Amino acid sequence: MDACLAVDREVDKVLSRFEDMSKSYNVVLQQLIDSLEIIQNDWQNNAIKDENKMSSINDISNLIYKSKEKTQQLAIEHRELHSTVSKVGKAIDRNFVSDFDATCKEDIFDEPKNATLLNYIICQHFYRQGNLDIADELVMESGIVLEPSIREPFAKLKHIKESLINKNIYPALEWAKENRAVLDTQMYPPYPLVKRISSASNLPIRIPYHAKRTKFSGGIMKPRPKTKKIKRMELAKKILQQFYKSSALEFKLHQLAFLSIIQKGVEHQTEAVAYARANFSQFVDKYEKEIQTMMGMLLFIPQGINKSPYSDMVQENMWDEVIELFTRDACTLLGLSFDSLLNVSVNAGCAALPALLNIKHVMTQRKVNNIWKGKDELPIEIDLDVEHRYHSMFACPILRQQSSDTNPPMRLICGHIISKDALHKLGSSTKLKCPYCPMEQSSSEAKHICF
Amino acid sequence: MSDLKSLEHPTLKVPYEVLNKKFRTTQKTLDREVSHFQNAVQEFERDISSDVAMTDTSHISSLLSGMVEKLKVLKRKADEGINDELQAGLVCKKRLEHLKEHNSPCEAIVKNWRRRRLDRMLVEYFLRCGYYNSANKLANNSDLNDLTNIDLFMISKEVEHSLENHETSKCLAWCHDNRSKLRKLRSTMEFNLRIQEFVELVRQDKRLDAVRHARKYISTFEDTRMEEVQQCMVLLAFPTDTEISPYKDMFDETRWQKLIEQFRLENYKLYQLSSQSVFTVVLQAGLSALKTPQCYSDIKEARNISCPVCQEWFNTLAKPLPFAHCSQSRLFCSISGLPLNEHNIPMVLPNGYVYGEQALVEMSNQNNGQVICPKTKEVYWLKQAEKVYVM
Repeated sequence: MDACLAVDREVDKVLSRFEDMSKSYNVVLQQLIDSLEIIQNDWQNNAIKDENKMSSINDISNLIYKSKEKTQQLAIEHRELHSTVSKVGKAIDRNFVSDFDATCKEDIFDEPKNATLLNYIICQHFYRQGNLDIADELVMESGIVLEPSIREPFAKLKHIKESLINKNIYPALEWAKENRAVLDTQMYPPYPLVKRISSASNLPIRIPYHAKRTKFSGGIMKPRPKTKKIKRMELAKKILQQFYKSSALEFKLHQLAFLSIIQKGVEHQTEAVAYARANFSQFVDKYEKEIQTMMGMLLFIPQGINKSPYSDMVQENMWDEVIELFTRDACTLLGLSFDSLLNVSVNAGCAALPALLNIKHVMTQRKVNNIWKGKDELPIEIDLDVEHRYHSMFACPILRQQSSDTNPPMRLICGHIISKDALHKLGSSTKLKCPYCPMEQSSSEAKHICF
Repeated sequence: MSDLKSLEHPTLKVPYEVLNKKFRTTQKTLDREVSHFQNAVQEFERDISSDVAMTDTSHISSLLSGMVEKLKVLKRKADEGINDELQAGLVCKKRLEHLKEHNSPCEAIVKNWRRRRLDRMLVEYFLRCGYYNSANKLANNSDLNDLTNIDLFMISKEVEHSLENHETSKCLAWCHDNRSKLRKLRSTMEFNLRIQEFVELVRQDKRLDAVRHARKYISTFEDTRMEEVQQCMVLLAFPTDTEISPYKDMFDETRWQKLIEQFRLENYKLYQLSSQSVFTVVLQAGLSALKTPQCYSDIKEARNISCPVCQEWFNTLAKPLPFAHCSQSRLFCSISGLPLNEHNIPMVLPNGYVYGEQALVEMSNQNNGQVICPKTKEVYWLKQAEKVYVM
């Protein structure tokens, strides 16, 4: 911000000085032109008597002397402004970084294959922004080949979203009905942070590991009764359904439709009841409470809902919520994330770059430049916002290394977690002391865990 | 260092360079017009001192009108020039005003600003790639014409286009326009253009014209680029389909492409643009900062659909980039997305998956103390979950 202000000051100086100059010289030069023109007219029309010629020429001499001076002054003063102008440039150089590309590897995106990928990414970004025409133009100019199946759904979604913004729910409702089968199987966690979290995986329900462990009775393994397995599967399903919610889009849309009828006033109440009868019964097992609330609103139609205990049901943000819900559902169905990935990456880059430039600067000063080059890891930790963190990162507290598939986190019996490599380094003897507490254990007792 | 400081240098520097250029042209015109006027004045003064003037009124009148004319031209040119400078200054000002919005306390404005920043970067990226129509469309759509250096690239588009058609005149005019700056940059643009013209003349078998051309234009470079000049003159002795290198290469059509490349780079240098676009630089930094080993894990479950680097296209792009650095664990509950810390203690289920206490408790409250691991779909009692301690 200071950087902007510093440059701003210099620019203001330039502007005001040029303006002053333009104003003052405009007047001066015009005056000179006017007075010279008058005299010239006199001479031209032979209006000057011979005896006055001498004085007139004197006048002219004075005038042209003055104009000579003024014009020279103009050129000189203009030249003097150069320092003011160049100060702007200096202020920019001082306050902004010109070699911002110092941190990047030059040719990565130049490779034709990567350039094409990048264009795909940009296209998809514009598709989901609803700027189909820009994406189309890019496809034409860059000559990339995108399958029409990528573009198609976005055109439809754009139309639906626009209608929602214009408070028309019907295209969305139709879409929700069409995709009801898929939407009903979605599992969203019941948290407001829906954007960031992936829904539960679609793995088939498995018999729990510990349930399979059978007791040995006399050396013969008895098969478990089948009914128990089915029961467990049902239980798992129930718990999942209780905890994770399927998409509420269709219901919410009906709700909006009902609310907009109700707000029209008393004369439309039969219409509202009819709508409720026609549409709400199918949702009763999932949204009983909400339906009850809505039917309760019927009581307050004469006073107006705004003055009733239900006033917060008719807020404007109901629409925003539904639009967000629709976007989430549409993205999930297309296998996309909630936010544009390009947007996310660029914002992360904008946050990361200043820190990287700083460290680069320090490295150059200390002449340890080459340390970075060979490494496959950034030299410093970038502090991104919480919403930019998509993976749990476990760094071994002993080795200060990130865990990986080959070096996973291990849980000691006492509950402390160290990496597998660290565990091996601590020794393979049967007696291993936890580095953090007095507990002794065997290294084979440590268990592999997963975040 | 803020992101403004590190990213917006070209946003401001280019209009400044334009302003600076306008200033110099205005200064030149002013000097020229002033001297024209002074010449008129001198002529008048010379004639006045002789006696001719006293008798010949019409002569004086015409001299006078000449002076008035010169003065009027001077005034008009000065007005135009200063106006141009003011306009260039206002462009700087406008961009500054836009950048200031970055610090607005209102979240919606900042969000919108960021969206437009991405669009600005994309416009510039398109321009550098030569996707001029896309750039135009995007700039119009997001109202960015004043905030991006689109004009600059449109001028270069014309030059590039003419070079593509094997015409040198536009590029030479550009060289002439920016001669002093190019000299400072030790540009070889003009030299290379002249050589190319020479090659074309030889190709058309106008060898005498070629010699004349070389005498006129290339001889001036003789002291600095002797070797290349000699090499070029040798072409006169060879047929155009010669197989001898390096002379064969000099007849190559791709030399035009190289000229275009060179022109682009010199044009960037002229306006102090870096050879990389802000967009690619930022994208690289961003992908690095987001890149984790999990994004490349063989276990599909480790990937997150919201994470850019986990997506197929980005995944390939980010392959050569460095990973994010991590020396301190940052753990999140994959059910709730909340960070794992003393307020949300990490708990491990018997299958080895770790979740936050809050989510597990909430789930068990709904199900009489039972929880399910959403990754493996195994059912446990909450009391089977054990605390873990991460340092």
